[in-house]
Amino acid sequence: MAIKIQWADRLRLSLAVLAANTIAAMVRVLRLGAASVLPGTIASRIHPRALALLASQAQGGVVLIVGTNGKTTTSALLKTILERQEWRVAHNAAGANLENGLITALLANTSFTGKLNADSIILEVDENVLPKVLPQIQPQYILALNLFRDQLDRYGEVDIISQRWQKAIAPLPAATTIILNADDPTLGYLGQKLTQKVVFFGLNEPENYLDEIPHAVDSIYCPSCGHPLTYQGVYLSHLGDFHCPSCGFKRGDLAVNSSEWPQILIGLYNKYNTLAAGLTALEMGIAKPIILEAIKNFQAAFGRAEELEVAGKKVRIMLAKNPVGMNETIRTVNEINRDRPSPTTLMILNDRTPDGTDVSWIWDVDTEKLAAKGGTIVVSGDRVYDLALRLNYSQQPEHPFQLIVKEELSEAIATALEYTPPGQTLHILPTYSAMLEVRGLLSGRQIL
Amino acid sequence: MNPEKPQLTIGWLYPTLMSTYGDRGNVICLQQRAQWRGIEVAVIPLDQTASTAAFENIDLLVGGGAQDRQQEIVMRDLRGAKAEAIRHQIAGGTPGVFTCGAPQLLGHYYEPALGQRIEGLGLFDFVSKHPGPDARRCIGNVVFQLTASRLAADLTKTLGQPPIIIGFENHGGRTYLGEVEALGKVIKGYGNNGEDGMEGAFYGNAIATYSHGPILPKNPFLADWLIQTALTQKYQQSITLSPLDDTLAMQARTAMFKRLGFDGK
Ligand SMILES: [Zn+2]
Repeated sequence: MAIKIQWADRLRLSLAVLAANTIAAMVRVLRLGAASVLPGTIASRIHPRALALLASQAQGGVVLIVGTNGKTTTSALLKTILERQEWRVAHNAAGANLENGLITALLANTSFTGKLNADSIILEVDENVLPKVLPQIQPQYILALNLFRDQLDRYGEVDIISQRWQKAIAPLPAATTIILNADDPTLGYLGQKLTQKVVFFGLNEPENYLDEIPHAVDSIYCPSCGHPLTYQGVYLSHLGDFHCPSCGFKRGDLAVNSSEWPQILIGLYNKYNTLAAGLTALEMGIAKPIILEAIKNFQAAFGRAEELEVAGKKVRIMLAKNPVGMNETIRTVNEINRDRPSPTTLMILNDRTPDGTDVSWIWDVDTEKLAAKGGTIVVSGDRVYDLALRLNYSQQPEHPFQLIVKEELSEAIATALEYTPPGQTLHILPTYSAMLEVRGLLSGRQIL
Repeated sequence: MNPEKPQLTIGWLYPTLMSTYGDRGNVICLQQRAQWRGIEVAVIPLDQTASTAAFENIDLLVGGGAQDRQQEIVMRDLRGAKAEAIRHQIAGGTPGVFTCGAPQLLGHYYEPALGQRIEGLGLFDFVSKHPGPDARRCIGNVVFQLTASRLAADLTKTLGQPPIIIGFENHGGRTYLGEVEALGKVIKGYGNNGEDGMEGAFYGNAIATYSHGPILPKNPFLADWLIQTALTQKYQQSITLSPLDDTLAMQARTAMFKRLGFDGK
């Protein structure tokens, strides 16, 4: 692990750091944007091994977090826990999870001599980028949260991603700890294939089982033999307590008892995020009381489930970027609105690169469940008419609702606020780039 | 419309295995458009648990995309009497829409990125191949003009202009047509293989296409053609559907045409 950095390397690295950080400062001052990735691009041009050299300096270890949903929330919680232990943590907080974003995050914690000023590193890594960064960074911990279909235009298929991860993890030292979601069959199978230390988190709370398996499900077939899996119960999407009646493949043994754990934020997916960060922290040697304290004090991560107050009305922004995420968000919103007769929801669909350019996934979402609550649904975004069409086809004669189409986002927000009864919460469900826009508009108060 | 209480049975091929790209939208679209016109609809899942009889009693077939592994599971089940039933239906003129992975299983075979060749039903005279795990996927918004003779003629009459389909393609596999008629001519995008400018295939009354999005909600005239053909087949008399308000679909089309720098005419 302790890689000696040669002085020539050190010099070139510090040059890279200096150039990158200077430019980062300029970018910020001039408000050019892209400050979360540009320095990384520059540093890796000047020193191709910048990422490896920076990462190797973390004495407390490097944690890589992968998974379709929950990376940002989980890494923010893990950071909070480690900081409660008084560790200094370098972390790519802005959701910049491609290679240059990772380097940029480390550069922000690096002195001009190339010395990393952090005890440990938490990096949320894009599904496709993991195989590229593993040969450079030797992480002590890899945390895999889940694998759902997401941005199929960029990633290809769930099975292929899992196979690529397996190949990329295989050469790592046996002491590497792989923390996996036991309730996800694809990840459970991945765990069986690895020679490293594998620990599982998962739920044991049958009271939270779903009544039926939702449509937006990727993996209900045995990853080992292809036979349909039998579920004792499903928590969300294909996550649950499963076994294969044909070959005996089953959920791995849980290292934590979920019913003894509190959770951050609302929604069952945040219980998974809590357990994931909690188990990783335990594996890193943090005492359980410290972890529990940190969970209690945790504040909402970057926009994931943020509560604001706008024009005297409460607004909650909940990222919904793929079918599983949006189904869960709808489930949570409906629970919150259980006793409210006509809630207002704003949905925003963009199709830029960070959102995925293929929007067909909205047809895998059970928007019928949101429509069935009645009230008002305002839609906006680059693909506003595709979203409007999806909702129009979600109509059920016995549950009427009002659909309002607004191309202009600021107008959509203003309209949605208008329709939100006093004392109630407006729920905003944006895709990733739409979330940034909404935050911009609301924090700048440009709409008021 | 005659008969008095029309009823439509939609057979949905392997809903949990073949539903990767929002293709459920085609089922939702057909079901709602029929129900909005007072047609009673039953959606029957045609999967491992379905009997051969279920495969035989269908007015309209829908099949969606699958991951390679799922496709294999489907083909293991879709053999013998079930395969014969599908073959019989399509050859007999039952309309259907098959997107993404589904057309691959209707052709002679599909060679996946990894692993062995998957034999198809051989109903459509085409073959599909994946050029390998590192090959570029064909991804993006796709626009094509329907050229399949009978279908194009019907729709040109309804619309007063040649029918233009808009969708999204996202496929690793490439399809090469034999004697079968192409569904359309690519205007923007890759189509069957990115080489010959053809998209999809048309056989009997069945449509095979790489275009999802899903294809029907934004091309409602195609959905109505399928419903109308299914009912005409079933009741053996000419059926006309009452018009629906498709403003949102037209706005969605216009927005995408504008973005692609194309007037949609
Ligand atoms: Zn099995």
